[in-house]
Amino acid sequence: MAQTAKSVNIHNKRVSAMQSEDNDSILARIADGENGSFELLIEKYGNLVWSIGKKFLYRQSDLEDAVQEVFIAIWKSADKYDASKAKEITFVSMIARRRFIDHLRKISKHKILESIDDDNSGHQLYKESLLNESTDLQLVKNAIQSLDIDDQELLNLSVYQGYSHSEISKLLNIPLGTVKTRIRRNLIKLKAIFETNETNTILNLNNA
Amino acid sequence: MPREDKKQERLLDLLVLESTQKLSLEEQRELNTLLDLFPEYTQDHFHEMTALAQVSFYAQDNFNNELLPKQMRKRILHAYKSELGQSTLMDYINHYMRVFFYKPQYAWTLTILMTIGLSFAMIEFRTYDANFRYLPLKRAFLENTANDMIQFPWHSRSNSLESISGDIIWTDEGQKGFIKIAGLPMNDPRQNQYQVWILDPLNHKQPVDGGVFDVTQVDGTMIIPINPKLPISKAVGFAITLEQPGGVVVSNQPLLLTAPKERPKITI
Repeated sequence: MAQTAKSVNIHNKRVSAMQSEDNDSILARIADGENGSFELLIEKYGNLVWSIGKKFLYRQSDLEDAVQEVFIAIWKSADKYDASKAKEITFVSMIARRRFIDHLRKISKHKILESIDDDNSGHQLYKESLLNESTDLQLVKNAIQSLDIDDQELLNLSVYQGYSHSEISKLLNIPLGTVKTRIRRNLIKLKAIFETNETNTILNLNNA
Repeated sequence: MPREDKKQERLLDLLVLESTQKLSLEEQRELNTLLDLFPEYTQDHFHEMTALAQVSFYAQDNFNNELLPKQMRKRILHAYKSELGQSTLMDYINHYMRVFFYKPQYAWTLTILMTIGLSFAMIEFRTYDANFRYLPLKRAFLENTANDMIQFPWHSRSNSLESISGDIIWTDEGQKGFIKIAGLPMNDPRQNQYQVWILDPLNHKQPVDGGVFDVTQVDGTMIIPINPKLPISKAVGFAITLEQPGGVVVSNQPLLLTAPKERPKITI
């Protein structure tokens, strides 16, 4: 009973902290039907979703269809968002990834060249704001940086660049089995680091 | 390496694959079977981590400065307004329901009631093999996430089963489903077992084996996973028969239950 009361107390404090952090959560505002909240959603996550989409889908028409679907899906799922379970950016990027991966089945993918914009200072600020707003992202960033350089590259190619395991195997001239094993181990490791840090955060909240 | 460890390793490989690319029908079926063997895992095991890792890489990628095109912004807003324009009375009701339950005190009351209800449900299932302990959650997950879910209530084909209640849900994309049923008589697994069949006339001349199950309790509702033995392209109906232990490939037994009510064109 004491343990249950302690767990509920920890959870209460985490929810309270999340609520104060996410008082202006866009998803909460969308769920409430607040005017202008959907526009804010596009404003905040449009660049991120578009950039992620470009890693999965080559044809402009496929990309545009998929990005539109992502935002409508996020809008329709806003009432399911639980701030105590995940950050808003996690929720948004998970929905985006699922939609893009679903689209991959229907069309063939092709790698595209990145556009290099010399004047990227504004965009850097946007990216920094994403990192600074979310402690989860900071945790994951640190966890990734704790991996070997080679493992970071594998993860980058798989999770970010959107290469399949067989494509990575050919690209890096590594046996397919090795690619699968290393990516699996890295994700398990990241998950363990992330969950350990989350638990420590909750414990710190409890002791505060 | 022990067989169980190999299976777990294969499960983790499939979960990694699922979080980074689309699985084939075969892979999805294999994943569903392994998830039933290892109920502590769920299909979205690595989803959060891959999503966060992707955003993290993006935030540090100095060469990726893509901006959402203005035209795209307009297009998304236009789509949103079209969706809004299709609002019905139910949408207004749902909106106010959401607002009501979003108040913390109501949300907590509902959470506590659901936890109590789920605890009772899980206690009821303690007579099952441990693998079946998480089935209510898995069914709820499917109901909330499957885009192509179909659902039919069960209809009795026998006078002795008139008190049957329940339904079946299924997703062709996920290649899985769940039976919810109450009122089915207990069986002796040494003598016979219930078998569920999936009707997919476009792809299979005969109904496809969806697995066997036992009824081990008189009262209460059971939730049973469906695991097709062959890929299903478009399920149109389901049936339950009573077969020899382990089930059969082709049934000669009378239909006990069907879903939907209308007799499908293919008969068992």
